[in-house]
Amino acid sequence: MGLVTYVVRRLLLMIPVLVGVSVLIFAISMLFSPYQRATLYVRNPQALNPHTIEGIITKYNLNGSMFSQYFSWISEVFHGSLGWSTTVRQPVTTALLERFPATFEIVLIAAPVIVILGIWLGVQSAVHRNTLIDHGTRTIAILGWSLPSFWFGILLVSFFYVYLGWLPRGGRLSSPIQAFVTSASFVRYTGSNIIDGILNGQLWVTGDAILHVLLPATVIIVIDIAIIIRVMRSSMLEVLNKSYIIAAKAKGLTQKQVINKHARRNALIPTITISGLIIGGLITGLVITETVFAIGGLGRWAAQAALNIDMPAVLGFAMFTAVVFLISNLIVDVLYAYIDPRIRLA
Amino acid sequence: MSSRWSEFKASLEPKVKEWKFMLKRLSESPLSIAGVAILSAFVVIAVFAPILAPPQGDDPFMIPRDWRILRVGVLEPIPPTQDHIFGTIENQYDLYYGCIWGTITAFRIGILVVAGALLIGLLIGMGAGYYGGITGEALMRFTDIIIAFPGLVLSMALTIALPNVMQVNLSLFICVFFALLSLTVLILRGNPRITAISGALFVITLLSYLYFPLMVNMSITNLDKVMVALVLVGWPGYARVIRGEVLRVRSEDYIEAARASGCSDLRIIMKHIIPNSVYPVLIMASLDTGAIVLSAAALSFLGLGADQGYADWGQIINMSQHWIGVTNVPLTEYLHAFLIPGFLIFMFVLAWNLLGDAVRDVLDPMIRRR
Repeated sequence: MGLVTYVVRRLLLMIPVLVGVSVLIFAISMLFSPYQRATLYVRNPQALNPHTIEGIITKYNLNGSMFSQYFSWISEVFHGSLGWSTTVRQPVTTALLERFPATFEIVLIAAPVIVILGIWLGVQSAVHRNTLIDHGTRTIAILGWSLPSFWFGILLVSFFYVYLGWLPRGGRLSSPIQAFVTSASFVRYTGSNIIDGILNGQLWVTGDAILHVLLPATVIIVIDIAIIIRVMRSSMLEVLNKSYIIAAKAKGLTQKQVINKHARRNALIPTITISGLIIGGLITGLVITETVFAIGGLGRWAAQAALNIDMPAVLGFAMFTAVVFLISNLIVDVLYAYIDPRIRLA
Repeated sequence: MSSRWSEFKASLEPKVKEWKFMLKRLSESPLSIAGVAILSAFVVIAVFAPILAPPQGDDPFMIPRDWRILRVGVLEPIPPTQDHIFGTIENQYDLYYGCIWGTITAFRIGILVVAGALLIGLLIGMGAGYYGGITGEALMRFTDIIIAFPGLVLSMALTIALPNVMQVNLSLFICVFFALLSLTVLILRGNPRITAISGALFVITLLSYLYFPLMVNMSITNLDKVMVALVLVGWPGYARVIRGEVLRVRSEDYIEAARASGCSDLRIIMKHIIPNSVYPVLIMASLDTGAIVLSAAALSFLGLGADQGYADWGQIINMSQHWIGVTNVPLTEYLHAFLIPGFLIFMFVLAWNLLGDAVRDVLDPMIRRR
C-alpha cells in the first residue's frame, strides 16, 4: 500500500469517529433544559432575551424529537456556529479562535523540552540500568507523574513570585507591555505574543511573554516528561537486548556509536507516537495550568464556563479538543507510516 | 468429601504459588515497600478518623468552623495555633479535621469510581470479546469515541450536565434488571432454576411498575456527580483491555475442549474465560485509584466538585489558592492552607503509583523471571 492510499484510508476511517463525537456531544446537550439548549443557536447578544429564546425553541423544535434536533444542531455546526458563550459574551467559535494562541504559546515552549529532555533522560536511564542514574531518573519520573498540577503550580508561584520575586504571578504580559501590545503601533499577526514580538521586531515583548510562560511551562514539563521517560526507557531496554546490538558491539564499534546509531534510532519509534499524543493532549489539556496562572487561554475559559454552567462553551470546547486530538492522532500515524514502511503493510 | 477437598486444594496450588512468587518479587523492591507503607498510613488515618478528629455536627464530612474567630469578623486563614494544630482555612474551617476526613473521601472516590468503571468495562469488554460480531464491533467503536476526548474535559462537561435531583422509578430499574438477568441466563443456557426465579421476579416487578410504581427522589451532591462523570469517562479503557484478553483466551484449545464436552456458554465464561483473563486487568485497574483521586481533586480544585466546607483535599486547595500572593502579607501566613492538603494528595497518589509500577513489573511476563 502506498503512503497516499494509507493516508486516504486513515482519513476515511476518521469520519465515523467524528460523527460519533458529534452524537456524544449532542447527547450530553440533551441533558440540559430546552432553555439552556437554545443558547446553542444564539449568534448575537440581542437574541438572549426571553422572548427570542422562546422563538428559538419553537423554530428549532427544541421540545420535539431528538432526530430533528440533532440535524438542526449539526447544520448549525457546519455553518461554523457553536452557540453563544455567556461567560465571555462572545460566540463560541470566536472565543475558541481568540484564546487558542495563548494556549499554543505555552505548548510551543514546553513541548520541545518535554520531548528532547525526556528522550535523553530515558536513554540515560536505560543505558545505565539499575545504577544510581537509573534510579534517580525513575524517581523523578514517578514523582512528576504523581504531582497534582494545581498544587505544584501554586508552589511554584509562592516560591518564584512571592518569596523570590523573580517571576510574575500570572497572566500573559505585564500591564504596560499589554497596553503597548493592544495599541495601534503593534500589528497582531498570529495573536501569540512570542511570535508577534519577533515579527514586529520588538524582542522585549517576546522576552516578557516568555517570562510569563516559564512557570506554567515548567508545570507541564515536570508532569508530562514522566511518560516520555518511561516509554523511552522501556523501548530502549528492549532494543538493547536485540542481537543486532550484540553484533554491532562484536564488530568493535564504540559504546557511543552503538547507542546513538543502532539502539536509539530503533527505540525512538514508540516514543514518537507518545510524543504526538502528548502534544495533541497539551494543546487541549491546559485547563488546570491556565487556571492556576490566570492565563486567558482555552483551558481557563472552559473552566470558568463550566463553573457558570455555560453549556455551549463547555461542549464547544470539548468538541474542539476531540477534533484536535483525532487530527494529532492522524498526523502521528502518517509520520509513523513514513518512518517505518512496515506499518503500511499491516 | 475429603478427596474433593484435596482435589480443590491441589487445583489451587499453582495459583497460591503464583501469588507467593508475586509477593516475594514485590517485597524485594524498595519502591513497592515504600508505597505499601504510605498507603497503610492512609488506611490507619481513615479507619481511626472518628478518634483522631471526633465529628461535631450531624454530617461528619462537614468540616467544623470556629465561630469564636468568625464572630470577630476574621475570614482569612490562620496559621497553626493550640486550638487548630494545622491552622484554619478561609471562613475558619479547621484544616486538621478536613485533612483527616478528607482521607476517607479520597478512598471512597477512588474505590467507588474504579469499581464502577471496572464493572461496566468488564461487562462490555466481556460481551464484545466473547460474542464479537457487529455488536462487539459497535461497542468498541463507541469506546473509541469516548477515548477520543481528553478525560478531564469530558468529565467536566458531564459533571455540569448531570442533574442535581433525579426522580428515579425504582420499579422500572429492578424490572429491567431482572429482565436482563433472565434473558442473559436464558441465552447463555445456564441453570433453568435461576431463569425461572428471575423470570418470576421480573413479572412481579413489571406489575409493580404498571400499578404501584416506587418513585424515589434522589438528590445528588456535586461530589457524586464528579464520581459518576469519572466512571462514565473511565470504563472504555478497561473494556478495551478486557476485550483483548478475552479474544486471546477465547481461541485457546481448552475453550474448544470445554465446548466439545458440552459446557454451556455461562459455564465457559465463568469457569474458563474470567479466571484466565481478568485478574491482571483487575489488579492493574485497582491501582488506578491514585490517578482517579488526582482527577477528582482537579475537578474539585476547579470548583466543580465537593461543596464548600466538605472534607475533600481538592476542595480545601480550591478555597486556599487565592490567598497566595496577597500583597503585604508574608508567605508563611497562608502557606499551611494549601501546603498540607496538597502534600496529602501528592503522597496518596504517589503511594498508588509506586505500588502500580512495582506490580506492573512483576506482572509483565517479558521481564519478570530475569
